[in-house]
Amino acid sequence: MRYGYGYFEEEHLGQVADTSLWQRIIIYSRPHWRKIALAIGLSLIVIGASLALPYMVRLGIDRYVVNTEPATQDRIAGLARLAWLFVGVIAGGFVANFYQVVILEWTGQTIMHQMRQQLFGHMLGLDLAFFNNNPGGKLVTRLTNDIQNMYEMFTSVIVTLFNDFFQLAAIMAILYWMNWRLALILSLLLPLIGVSIVWFSRLARDAFRAIRTHLARINAFLQESLSGISVIQLFLRERDTHKKFVELSQVYLEKNLFQIKIFGIFMPAMELFSAMAIGCIIWYGGGEVIRQHMTLGELVAFLSYMRLFFQPIRELSQKYSIVQSAMASAERIFQLLDTKGTMPSAAPEQEQPEMRGEVAFRHVRFGYAADQPILHDLSFQLAPGQTLAIVGATGSGKSTIVNLVERFYDPDSGTILIDGRDIRSLNTEWLRQRIGLVMQDVFIVPGTIRENVLLDQRMDEERLAAIIDKSQLAALVRQLPDGLETRIGEGGLDLSSGQKQLLAFARVLARDPKILILDEATSSVDSETEMLIDRAIGSTLANRTSIVIAHRLSTIRRAGYILVMGKGRIVEEGSHESLMARGGIYRRLQDLQLLNMPEGNGERNSLP
Amino acid sequence: MAETITGKSGPRFTLPSLTLLLPYFRRYGLRLAGGVAALLGVDFLQLWIPRFIKRAVDELGNGTATVPGLLRYAGMILLIALGIAVCRFAWRYLVIGFSRLLERDLRDRLLSHLLTLDRVFFQRHTTGEIMALTTNDLSAVQLACGMGLIAFVDAVVMTMAALAFMAYIHPLLTLIAVAPMPVLVVATRLLSAKVHKRFKKVQEQFEKLTEFARSTLNTIGLIKAYTQEATQTEHFGRMGHDYVRDNIRLAVVQGILSPFSGLIANCCLLLVLFFGGRLTIQGVITVGDFVAFVSYLFMLTWPMMALGWVANLFQRGATSLGRIDRILQEKPVLADSASAFVPPRVDGHIRLEHLTFVYPGQTVPALMDLSLEIRPGILGVVGRSGSGKTTLCHVLARLYPVADAAFFLDGRDVNTLALAAVRSSIAYVPQETTLFSESIQFNITLGRADASQAEMEAAARAAAVHQEIMALPDGYQTRVGERGVKLSGGQRQRIALARALLLDRPILIIDDGLSAVDMETEHAIVRSMASHLQGRTCIIISHRVAPLVDAGEILVMEQGRIAARGNHAYLFAHNAFYATIYTHQTADQGKRE
Repeated sequence: MRYGYGYFEEEHLGQVADTSLWQRIIIYSRPHWRKIALAIGLSLIVIGASLALPYMVRLGIDRYVVNTEPATQDRIAGLARLAWLFVGVIAGGFVANFYQVVILEWTGQTIMHQMRQQLFGHMLGLDLAFFNNNPGGKLVTRLTNDIQNMYEMFTSVIVTLFNDFFQLAAIMAILYWMNWRLALILSLLLPLIGVSIVWFSRLARDAFRAIRTHLARINAFLQESLSGISVIQLFLRERDTHKKFVELSQVYLEKNLFQIKIFGIFMPAMELFSAMAIGCIIWYGGGEVIRQHMTLGELVAFLSYMRLFFQPIRELSQKYSIVQSAMASAERIFQLLDTKGTMPSAAPEQEQPEMRGEVAFRHVRFGYAADQPILHDLSFQLAPGQTLAIVGATGSGKSTIVNLVERFYDPDSGTILIDGRDIRSLNTEWLRQRIGLVMQDVFIVPGTIRENVLLDQRMDEERLAAIIDKSQLAALVRQLPDGLETRIGEGGLDLSSGQKQLLAFARVLARDPKILILDEATSSVDSETEMLIDRAIGSTLANRTSIVIAHRLSTIRRAGYILVMGKGRIVEEGSHESLMARGGIYRRLQDLQLLNMPEGNGERNSLP
Repeated sequence: MAETITGKSGPRFTLPSLTLLLPYFRRYGLRLAGGVAALLGVDFLQLWIPRFIKRAVDELGNGTATVPGLLRYAGMILLIALGIAVCRFAWRYLVIGFSRLLERDLRDRLLSHLLTLDRVFFQRHTTGEIMALTTNDLSAVQLACGMGLIAFVDAVVMTMAALAFMAYIHPLLTLIAVAPMPVLVVATRLLSAKVHKRFKKVQEQFEKLTEFARSTLNTIGLIKAYTQEATQTEHFGRMGHDYVRDNIRLAVVQGILSPFSGLIANCCLLLVLFFGGRLTIQGVITVGDFVAFVSYLFMLTWPMMALGWVANLFQRGATSLGRIDRILQEKPVLADSASAFVPPRVDGHIRLEHLTFVYPGQTVPALMDLSLEIRPGILGVVGRSGSGKTTLCHVLARLYPVADAAFFLDGRDVNTLALAAVRSSIAYVPQETTLFSESIQFNITLGRADASQAEMEAAARAAAVHQEIMALPDGYQTRVGERGVKLSGGQRQRIALARALLLDRPILIIDDGLSAVDMETEHAIVRSMASHLQGRTCIIISHRVAPLVDAGEILVMEQGRIAARGNHAYLFAHNAFYATIYTHQTADQGKRE
């Protein structure tokens, strides 16, 4: 069961006849045209074999079984020859079918793999602004479900569609060739069949979509109830929860019953059409035989070809909706691929001097949305090796400063200078490689601890050991039987949030950046880990320019310079001592946190 | 995923599991009987059409056919086809409908059963496991009871009928003709089991791919900051490659399985053509017999293929049913005895006497020989992670069973008190905040849907979250979660606290439920609570010490024992651990002395 991580998309329907879309789809399959042609060729062999077998049976009956002219010995020998031929056709058909399935799968999967890679690489290259406007769940759906939809079209539709039409056309041609009058009468049934297919595929699609939506709803409700089960029990909400669930369950049942009805009407309706065709053949065809316009053998052939005719029709009715949803997916995928980044990066320079780590903001204005400025005319300067702490309430613009230094966004006006050069004139990759970022979130790559610390770097054991030590990961690594080779993430060891923080510090130390940005975690870790983190911060901040969004007093105290932010402006700035002496907002913040010192305010300790 | 529920491989058929279905078969018995009757009707009518065709062809052959006669045959065929269509619709609607009804009933029953189970159960089974049960296993049962049942009945009837007709013509030829059929049954069974296994592998790889994409896109900022775009794409490519490989492995088996039935059917045809042809030539059977024999053979192919498929469907259904049954057999460990006493009121006076607690399934006690008296007022609990703070909360909230004569509430052993009565005297704020995807009002009034607006707002004020709720676009009607606003961790915790405060119960337990609230606010809340909780018992666990300094008493826990207890000043002076963390958390306080 695939339900896309809490994200459910109301799919709109693709235009099956959109030629520009088809052109782009064809571009992806063009390099594989040989294999696709081979698959189609193989499937023609399969069809040929399946059409040849009934013919051979008839041949055997007519020539050897019924025909009493030749000697009995010859008749049996002829039958044996035919039997060997039969074996050959069966085996050939089977082998062709097998290779056709595998080649088609291989081609389809390879094309989809390429498309998925291209899309993923393209997504990762887009600006952060793009990710703010597009929830992660939606993007994941592009990579998974949409690609899957297109794959289904590639394999099951393109080739089978070709086969089905080919088979239908072949049968129609044979019928017209045998007796055009009877064939014409049978053709009158076609519009009826066509209309009912369109009607059915539309209803079936709607029914299917309703079922999926409701299943997603049931699952979401169940997931929430199960993870909140103790709350439900403690608050005695069992009955209401059950009642709500029964309602959801009931609606889901009704949608399912509706789908059963639709299929229950369509499938027998097709049989009915088939019976109508047989009736026509018996009545009109029989009349033709009486009038001697047609032989009895032809009548029997008509009957058996009619049976072959309805098989592809049933398949076609189910393929149409696959094509529709694949086209919608293709449209979404191409739309995403057409989205371009808006922040050009300068080309890498040949001889770039090493970064010193001087950071300056000059009259920077910035807002994520045009009419909602976050930073107003922000200016400050940070010398190489200096530590800056930024303090302020949520929404005061602290994280935005980080985003601008990392060049996730460009300022609306003003400039950001690194070593005196405008950040926009620098190569973004070069810049980011020299900036270390530690945030509350930590991404884990499925792999070992070593791989997660080093990422794409190489390093000798000695330096790595020193880094593990400095980042306070040593104690954890020593505890693990596999040490640095312990696998973490999906299916491996689950690190606590504190341990992840330490890993982040190790990563930064391994990259040895000139500038460090630390967005301190506010989430809770136990007191001991907190001390470890504190030590790790100490060793990470040493000897580099650092910008710290600080929550811990101990971290703020490490900074030589403090900015107090309020609503996108600098409210106060200076050293800890000067700010304390000034007695402003900073002083008040500090005092509040020091409120409970036993020596300071003894009267607050309500002793029993 | 559900390894712990199933063990390695579940038993194929367990009678007790099948009896689980009996009441449903009985409840929908009429519907089922109707469905099966309709199915038999289809099979019966289907055998008729070829007879009319044969008669028409025969008459045309010997020249006795007339146009009105032919029209009558055509009409009869159409009439029978109409009957088939009606019967077909009926069995689809009745039998598949039955399987859907069964699915709904089982699902509802599962949920109402799950709601009665306690922590002991949910600790052993993750949400993912249970979700797998209600999705995959339930649909396996539904498939077995719907399409499985139909295909089974249909296959058995058709096989019997076809075999009987064939044996009537020539028994030995029948034996020769069906000789390859068992191969089909066995192969379908083996191969479709393999297909199922490889398909699961494909699914798993797909999940991995999805999860990797999700986690990468969720931390896109960091990925960019570390310039890991290329590395991540490469990694994604490797996973995608594995996905392609798994798909091709699946296609290889499917490429054999799907044309296999045709292959066997053609082999049978070959045998009939050769041996039957010889018999006809030798004059043992007539030409008409021969043609009829071939057409009956065609009727056999589908049921043979279906039998292999049905066997797998039944097996999977039975295994899933066994899993569902095992969950339904689970009983809550905590259950009231018959003589449980329902106290008229609870004052909230808690006494623990030499309480030792071991989590079910573990050997090391999480709480050791704890003796403690908790009176109305605020009790703070601090300690390292793993020291037993949360366990103490679980025990006090009556989430786990305790030994007799260890836990007394208002002087009575809790084991003699009705569980619901004890629980309804406790308001508990767990470590992980759970808010439901409903309005904020719904979430706060969860335990007291009848609370007035004023009461609700008072609780929200006490939890210092009223202002922030009012600042939201729809105030208290704002929806939370996926389709609503995204609240910060601190806001969620305070809403959960408001929910507990609104209950206004004699005992309030907060298990580190304010960790994401900043220290200033946490302290303000604790102080406001001191006045709010007149005469009530409040137990607050916190990893931060500063907000607890106002507590009447503070426990320091260590390795499941009480290491020290006393007020803040006492502990600061006498307990090294307490003094260290307090000093550390308030940073430079030491320097200012």
